[in-house]
Amino acid sequence: MLGTFAVGKTSLVRRFVESIYSDKYHTTVGVKIDKKMVPVNGSELMLVLWDIEGTESEHEMRTSYLRGAGGYLLVADGTRQDTLYKAIALQERVKETIGAVPFLLLMNKADLTDEWSISERETTALHEKGWEVIQTSAKSGFGVENAFHSLAKRMAEA
Amino acid sequence: MAVSEAQGVVDEEKSQVSDEGTMAELRSLLLGPAEAQLAEVHERLLDPQRQVEEVSRVLPDAIAVRSQQDDDLSTALAPTVSAALEYSVRRNPQPLADAIFPIMGPAIRKAIAAALSGMAQSFNQTLAHSMSARGLAWRWEALRTGRPFSEVVLLHTLLFRVEQVFLIHQETGLLLRHVSAANADVQDADMVSGMLTAIQDFVRDSFTTRQGEQLDTLQVGELTVWIEQGPQAILAGVIRGNAPQQLREVFVETVEKIHLQYGTALKKFSGDASPFVGTQPLLEECLQSGYDLEHQQASAGRKLTPLKVILSVVLVALVVLGFFWLRDRRRWDAYVDKLRAEPGIVVTDTGKQGGKHFVSGLRDPLSRDPAIIIQDTGLDAQSVTERWQPFQALTPDFVLARARKSLEPPTSVRLNLNDGLLEAEGFASHQWVVETRRVARLLPGVSQFREDKLFDLERIENPLLMFDVNQAQIRSDQQEKLSQLVADITHLRQLAGEKKITLEITGHADGSGTETQNSTLSQGRAETVAAALKTNLPAWPNMAIATVGSKEKLREEVTEADRATNRSVTLKVIVSNTN
Repeated sequence: MLGTFAVGKTSLVRRFVESIYSDKYHTTVGVKIDKKMVPVNGSELMLVLWDIEGTESEHEMRTSYLRGAGGYLLVADGTRQDTLYKAIALQERVKETIGAVPFLLLMNKADLTDEWSISERETTALHEKGWEVIQTSAKSGFGVENAFHSLAKRMAEA
Repeated sequence: MAVSEAQGVVDEEKSQVSDEGTMAELRSLLLGPAEAQLAEVHERLLDPQRQVEEVSRVLPDAIAVRSQQDDDLSTALAPTVSAALEYSVRRNPQPLADAIFPIMGPAIRKAIAAALSGMAQSFNQTLAHSMSARGLAWRWEALRTGRPFSEVVLLHTLLFRVEQVFLIHQETGLLLRHVSAANADVQDADMVSGMLTAIQDFVRDSFTTRQGEQLDTLQVGELTVWIEQGPQAILAGVIRGNAPQQLREVFVETVEKIHLQYGTALKKFSGDASPFVGTQPLLEECLQSGYDLEHQQASAGRKLTPLKVILSVVLVALVVLGFFWLRDRRRWDAYVDKLRAEPGIVVTDTGKQGGKHFVSGLRDPLSRDPAIIIQDTGLDAQSVTERWQPFQALTPDFVLARARKSLEPPTSVRLNLNDGLLEAEGFASHQWVVETRRVARLLPGVSQFREDKLFDLERIENPLLMFDVNQAQIRSDQQEKLSQLVADITHLRQLAGEKKITLEITGHADGSGTETQNSTLSQGRAETVAAALKTNLPAWPNMAIATVGSKEKLREEVTEADRATNRSVTLKVIVSNTN
């Protein structure tokens, strides 16, 4: 799980693994490890999820946590445009560090439609770049299962 | 004919030959294909090589079929198999050792576990009957944690136990294999594996470490995590207690063995941990434990824990405080007892107020000062508040003491009190006698004053020995007075005992005549009396002669009687304590 501060990485993991959502905000320090079995193509795949602390910029990220990653979810906050730019920058950094591994971009907080600040145009541009972008809401659970399953599938096929 | 016969023979022969040919032909026609087979069967039967091949083809199935039918085959093979094994071992034991190695470890461990479990059971029984404090504490712990008592005993007598071993892929941090000891507290091994990897990453990132330096030990309370790094895989062992350093070597060897045996699989690893199932026995070898039951039992009581230190300090402090408290208490009790026993002091209340002792009651001012009494008890006078109301004690001692204080008797007088009767003994000046008579009966506790044995010095000091005008001779009418004086002085002598008595003999003269004449006259009168007394009282008393002439007149001379009085000699008794 990669992304800047308070985009909802931990909430997404909690929603996916435990089906719980809490409004309380907790900063992740270091990394939190979770796991969940995901059915892919008729067999079970175990996802070991590394929920890595959010950093202000891609330079502050501890790249050692990326080592050996089979895939990753870039998380941006749909209500904060800058988080999308940071996610894009982060992706560059990850690619430099561990090469091309499967990833998805999650536009989280999809429940906050009134405050949504990512334009259709930006999303389309990313699609054209070959990125898969999924809108999610850790609060409502919208798109969460789909996001993780989609990544699992891509990782199994890689 | 012969020809024909011959021909016939030939024909016959011919026909015979052709018969045989026909037969052969027939035979070959009939049995043609089978003949080849027969030949082959024949050949097979005779060729041992072929036979071996044949049997080898059916042998596994044959054994399987026969084994299902009965045990004859096993019985038949047993001697051969055992002989073969024996031979094999004799020749080279290594292959067999290698083969059974993976099952040896678990088997031995199982046996040890069973033995330990049995030992714990016996502990259980021993401790069940011994109501030692430790036994009870362990029982409580078992009750509290819901663990079997035997397990609690094991935990406490445990020096170390490797509870879990993780084999983790270095690159991905994914778990390859996990083994755990029986009864160990096990969390999700996949997550622990990820966390361990993350922790190492964190340490590497956060602290500047030199190349090759890795996190190799984590310590959490009773648990220690040993991390042994390999190029492709990490071995992490969770250990309860203090493991010996030799165990570290076991870890190192295990990592090396795994790299040797699974090097390729480790390099190819892409998430499927199934190739590493075989590492189980190797990992299980690391699941060691050490118990030191006897030593542990003996030393458990002596082991110094912070709690024990604190408890000891508190205990010592309590003992010291208790000692001081007790000592203070005993001193105080002793003091109060002394006060109660002290004449003239009546204790009405004692206690403690604001950290200070207090005592209140009545005190006769003549009693001993409590400030002096307290000195003998060792109590700090500052720590005691005293409230005394003055009163007069009516015990004989105090009545007498008060009498002495009020009457101030001269040393020649001894006062006695008997049933309210105050008796004075000895001799005293007339003035004192008169004063005492007046005061004595007013003293509390004194109902009567008795002076039978008291000699009033007035008897010596009052009489005047009178002389005729200008005469120093004792008048005849004064002889009786002189005799009485001698008797009284003799009496005084008896009363005086050791005291030194001096009689001061003073001669007087009347105002007629010159002062010089009077002086000489009074001297003469005094000497006359002294001489007379000496005659009657040999060796005693000491006498001092004083002459005052007419300077110190006994009376103002108005009448002749006054003058007659002044023509006299007076005596005075001077008492001194030392001889």
